[in-house]
Amino acid sequence: MIDEHLAEEALTAALERGGEFAELYFERRASMSLNLEDGKLEKISHGLDAGASIRVIRGRSISFVFTEKTDERSLIGAARLAGEAAGGGGGGVQPLAGAEPAVVHKVKTPPDSVVAGEKAELLKAADRAARDRGPEVVQASIGFSDETSQIVIANSDGCLVREERTRVRLTARVVASRNGAYQTGYDSAGGLKGMELFAAGLPPQLGGSAAAKAITMLDSRPAPSGKMAVVLHRGFGGVLFHEACGHGLEADAVEKGASVFAGRVGEQVASPLVTLIDDGSIVNEWGSGSFDDEGVPAQRNILIENGVLKGFMFDRLRARNAGVPPTGNGRRQSFRHPPIPRMTNTFILAGDSTPEEIIASTEHGFFAKTLSGGQVEPATGDFVFGVSEGYLIESGKVSYPLRGATLIGNGLVAMNNVDLVAGDFEMNIGVCGKDGQGVPVGSGQGTLRILNMTVGGTEV
Amino acid sequence: MLDIARQVLDAAMAAGVEQAEAFVQLDRSMRAKVYQQEVEEMVSATGSGAGIRVIDHGSAGYAYTSDLSPDGIKAAARAAAEGMSVTARDEFAGLPAPAAEFPQLDLYSPRLQEVRVTDKISLAMTLEKAALEHDRRVRQVEAATYSESESTVAIANSLGFSRSYAETSCFAFLQAIAEDEGQMQTGISFVTGREPGQLDAAAAAAEAAGRALSLLGAGQCASMSCPVVMDPFVAASVIGVAGSVLTAEAVQKRRSLFAGRRGERVASSLVNLLDDAVHPDGLASAPFDGEGVPSRRTELIKDGVLQGFLYDTYTGRKDGVASTGNGVRGSYRSQPHVGATNLRLTGGATPAAALLEGIELGFYVIDVTGMHSGVNLISGDFSVGASGRLIRNGGLSEPVREVTIAGNLLDMLGNIKKIGNDNRWVPFGGSIHAPSVLIEPMTVSGR
Repeated sequence: MIDEHLAEEALTAALERGGEFAELYFERRASMSLNLEDGKLEKISHGLDAGASIRVIRGRSISFVFTEKTDERSLIGAARLAGEAAGGGGGGVQPLAGAEPAVVHKVKTPPDSVVAGEKAELLKAADRAARDRGPEVVQASIGFSDETSQIVIANSDGCLVREERTRVRLTARVVASRNGAYQTGYDSAGGLKGMELFAAGLPPQLGGSAAAKAITMLDSRPAPSGKMAVVLHRGFGGVLFHEACGHGLEADAVEKGASVFAGRVGEQVASPLVTLIDDGSIVNEWGSGSFDDEGVPAQRNILIENGVLKGFMFDRLRARNAGVPPTGNGRRQSFRHPPIPRMTNTFILAGDSTPEEIIASTEHGFFAKTLSGGQVEPATGDFVFGVSEGYLIESGKVSYPLRGATLIGNGLVAMNNVDLVAGDFEMNIGVCGKDGQGVPVGSGQGTLRILNMTVGGTEV
Repeated sequence: MLDIARQVLDAAMAAGVEQAEAFVQLDRSMRAKVYQQEVEEMVSATGSGAGIRVIDHGSAGYAYTSDLSPDGIKAAARAAAEGMSVTARDEFAGLPAPAAEFPQLDLYSPRLQEVRVTDKISLAMTLEKAALEHDRRVRQVEAATYSESESTVAIANSLGFSRSYAETSCFAFLQAIAEDEGQMQTGISFVTGREPGQLDAAAAAAEAAGRALSLLGAGQCASMSCPVVMDPFVAASVIGVAGSVLTAEAVQKRRSLFAGRRGERVASSLVNLLDDAVHPDGLASAPFDGEGVPSRRTELIKDGVLQGFLYDTYTGRKDGVASTGNGVRGSYRSQPHVGATNLRLTGGATPAAALLEGIELGFYVIDVTGMHSGVNLISGDFSVGASGRLIRNGGLSEPVREVTIAGNLLDMLGNIKKIGNDNRWVPFGGSIHAPSVLIEPMTVSGR
């Protein structure tokens, strides 16, 4: 680990050569993963990743150097290189003062206190539950991963933060087959916590749920195409808002005008039923932390309130450019990556309707129960989503399952077309990719309805 | 490098295992991103680490570390051996014996180091400047980037394999944003090479600008079933997806729509697809794969008929065949697994412009989104977001966005009616050498 003295020395070495602001990020991450397929524990991997990066900012330019060698000589060398590349400026370092976290994510059972054999039992339990769902289940892949990172962040403004983050995750992917047709089902759970996540029978629950989805989809018919009302099931649907508007609310896109939300704070950008929050301080939630990856305390940010745009998600650099305080959204995949504005846990606040009412009031529509992922172009707000589990809604009732459907639309339009939001709130976990960096994120909402959305299926 | 690999191997064998393999990687990389003619971000890095694979009585363990000190290596060797205690015994687990011959490839250019950093930054600046000057409707350029890396890989295993190689690669990338009448559209381009002298920044800039401009004014079109022409970027995405299920692992685990179809017709007779790990321009080329098996060229589909699959050592043993040299690994942090190297769709004869000939009403696809979520790899069901231009009377007509194209991957391969002769390297989702293709019919969903 890096002590305060070495951190200060490195920051000084950087700013002696150039730049206006210097930051040191040190990380030591121990991780483990297990994979079970065909009922056999196939793969295991233990990893140790340690390294440090120095970031120097001058004006709007970033110079970033990282190294996997964290001895004093390598670190000072990296710091000088970063300062030199930044050029100009130069400056001093404020005395480092440690900050205490406002929110602590307690770990009851650290992953390294549990032997690999015991973790393997969790995977086996999920696998058995999947196979017990029915003879249609032909394959189950269960994945487990845990990681514990020690992080030290220090910067020339005197910030010094130490944080330990532990995350665990279990995923279940199940293939079911009948009469030559194959379908897959997926479910996962994770948290910023220890092995206690898996208490209360969670692994078999995930395996069973993934299997049930795959079996259900065996009865599916090809999805129709065209515009219709889309009902998004609680939890999974949140990822649509993550893509459709979340990315456009990240300050790097906004700063460059490459976002449909740029310059629109205070305007009505969504239906009055939509209140969108990003909150990295939710205790033990997958996308949370005590601080972000720049040492800014995690906090709750209201992005859209009753349809009115309230603000954006900032890292330190973009906040400084905009003359506002950072919002705790400066995140990075590892010490190898510069921090950029990212979402943490992003969700739509629960509404007053019930899921039953929403379905019952839909004459003809599409019920998207599980989304398989999506993509957005923040500059235009255009998005696309795969639906891995979807159903037709006929005369206010959920009818047969539909396969091969894609949801396509525009973030602004979709948010304005939200006309019902239910109270059955749920969060889901994922890994969001941006600029080649993956970070853990949560997304959530209650069941809600979006009118007039394009469903792309295989039937014209 | 080989010395370090042998030290790591010795540490692994010290745990008393039957077989061990050390994979050591050393790299140096640099990236410069320009915005408004200033360096927005400059990243430089050096990295090194080792991955250790051990096998004993059919059980395998893996560990990696970025700490190459004697203590770091010892700790990783211990962790790898510990892992073996929980994995299932598998009669097919084992390392490959060393081969006698390896392809001679020229993957390293000393020019990469020689070119000055300032010249590399100017290359990124040219990307931005040339795109903005291309047309006044190009309002800005996102991510005008020059990126390079130089890496050395060394592998040593207990069966006597001990080799290393070095490679260089670089690319230039940009995303142009065009705006007209309140609508924004984006277009990307990139060029790849072993050294910066091979990168034509002006051509990339013109292409990115052209792609963004060609979509300005786009709206939804009506739903229809029609001929669809995919440009090489889009065709590359489809080829990449097909390649991912042409691995023996996908087949053995029943996760591939190609399972059980070897020798069958799976595509139009125009389709010739190969995995080429020895192509001089392919950025995934190497003398040997991630477990030391010599690289080669493997025919996957010939004249529309499925020839076979890609194998690493483990999946090869399961099927009683030799590895095809496709035990790939992203870095020392990952274990080898079966994967494509450079995929090439070859033999296209039609000039790109002639692909549109005779099409009364069709769709020319410039961009697809949601590829990773919109394809069911077992059933082949396929539905992705698309933008492009309508084709009317053999020529490009009004721009289209916010539609989906859908079908089944096998039907799509079967319905390839023409293949262009405009192959180019596309480095996204793998390394793919793709031409334009005409598929008829496909379902386009819009209004």
